[in-house]
Amino acid sequence: MKKYVRVTPEGTRDLLFEECIARRRAESILSNLFLSRGFSEVMTPGIEFFDVFDTVLPAQSMYKMTDAQGRLLVMRPDSTLPIARLTATRLKDAPLPIRLFYTQDVYRFNQAQSGYLDQEFQAGIELIGAASEMADIEVLSLAAKALELFDIGDYRLEIGHVGFFMSLIDELDADDDTRDNIRTFIENKNYAALGGVLDTLPVCKAVDAVRQLPRLFGGDEVLKAAASLCGNEQTRCALKFLDTLYKKLCELGLSQKVMIDLGLVHQHEYYTGVIFRGYIEGGGDSVISGGRYDTLLSRFGCDLPATGFGINMDLLARRMLACGCIESTAPVQVLVHAKPGHEAYALKKADEMASKGVVCEVSVFSSINEARLYAKNRRIPKVLEVGGDIRSQQ
Amino acid sequence: MKPMRIALTKGRLEKDALKLFDSMGMDTSALYDKGRRLILPVGMPDGGQFEAVLAKAADVITYVEHGVCDLGIVGKDIIAEYGGSFYEVLDLGFGKCRFALAAPRGSDFFKGYSTKIVASKYPNVARGYFDRKGMDVGIIKIEGSVELAPLLELSNAIIDIVETGSTLRENGLEVIEDIMPVSARLIVNIACMKLRKKEIEAFVSKMEECL
Repeated sequence: MKKYVRVTPEGTRDLLFEECIARRRAESILSNLFLSRGFSEVMTPGIEFFDVFDTVLPAQSMYKMTDAQGRLLVMRPDSTLPIARLTATRLKDAPLPIRLFYTQDVYRFNQAQSGYLDQEFQAGIELIGAASEMADIEVLSLAAKALELFDIGDYRLEIGHVGFFMSLIDELDADDDTRDNIRTFIENKNYAALGGVLDTLPVCKAVDAVRQLPRLFGGDEVLKAAASLCGNEQTRCALKFLDTLYKKLCELGLSQKVMIDLGLVHQHEYYTGVIFRGYIEGGGDSVISGGRYDTLLSRFGCDLPATGFGINMDLLARRMLACGCIESTAPVQVLVHAKPGHEAYALKKADEMASKGVVCEVSVFSSINEARLYAKNRRIPKVLEVGGDIRSQQ
Repeated sequence: MKPMRIALTKGRLEKDALKLFDSMGMDTSALYDKGRRLILPVGMPDGGQFEAVLAKAADVITYVEHGVCDLGIVGKDIIAEYGGSFYEVLDLGFGKCRFALAAPRGSDFFKGYSTKIVASKYPNVARGYFDRKGMDVGIIKIEGSVELAPLLELSNAIIDIVETGSTLRENGLEVIEDIMPVSARLIVNIACMKLRKKEIEAFVSKMEECL
């Protein structure tokens, strides 16, 4: 036998029974939510040209292969970029805004044996061609709504702003490498290392503000604290914008769920405005990730503002199973066994019962005794023997 | 809500971590008398409780990253080698040592054209260090006493954590360059930091006061 015949590749797994139900349930909850709010579904190919993602996503994280002409392809590592591509081409004349949603797998290399899957089932929305505040609020409220619908315990949605961080860091008298380090330290809330780097920079107001950044998360008190720390035009704008968003989300009754994190720095560099992440109990890492990306579509020759988010449905499905929200597959109620020569009639009988909502299975055994034994082992309560006179058997 | 869970690195950092808990007024009796148990209750001064888990250093990161432990105490050496996504919120100041490049005394590591071989328990740290230097070297991963590799002429140098340098001296090696300081850190799972902000912040600031 070949060596890899009986295993699946690193970072992948089979889904069985309840796991499939949970995944389908997650998909239907989210699809219904998005459809009910006027989003239309799109599906993009499982393989795309490498160029679609090049320089936006790290090349080493993508599954690569070549087509028959030797051109570099990748297994879809993200859905936002392919949707930007299709919007810029297939939908370039569509009336704005364009509301799209997707539920599909993405593939990324993770470190081997790290416990993370390389294939992730994601759902998400993209609201394209709308730069207004209302567009950001709608997307954020849908993210909260999505987590609420799952009813799997407490959740948090945290919002930040790329502009706030960018303009602060622009004020620092530091080279690009130092800025990269600072960004990483803020993202990891590494107070100690951040302090170390900032101590080497010339003292200014921005240095003090950046020092505080990892601690600036919580309710709207964060915005006040931040306002007193720094005061250029861009940071004021970003803070004011976050304040508005926060207030609107509170009006929606989300004050206990929404947090502001000014130290939120996204790994995707395509974000340009408000960014956010969602967390659920028992989640470990974020389950939702999204934000505004106003310059990404210009990469595909179409200059449109956009905002959206993606949800990790595998994580949601796993939590639904852990919380006992998923019942097992509907049990078989009747085993239909045909007497010799009455096979077609047995199948018709099975159809008839199935159409009435009775889950039934057709016996493939040659004798009624075998059928009964099987029914007993599988805990099927009723065996129906079909043909001639019809008898039912407990 | 289930009690907070903190993963502690077994061995070198364990004693200092316990001392820190004691100075925070925690009831650590179960940790001192742990027997073969792996999950141990720790009492908080306010009457609350959390759980401590004793794990190998690299596993502390894994448990915290996946959120099965909310907090962890682990050395910066392990963080530098394994990385991961979590918040690194406190430098605890104990378990101090440093990463260093060391070679046999009197040898000039940076001289000559041939590709040098470096042995290390920390191949990622070693790779990162030479990448920053723009130097192409061969790296060999060694699990045990790395000092042996240059003595057996498997490698030209080693990259390892150095506390006093006495092991190096006794084996005829000397530090060529210090790479980075190392000490114990408090790390926090990202989702837990958001979902249990108050509890975690209270714990972290209490710990900070007692350093």
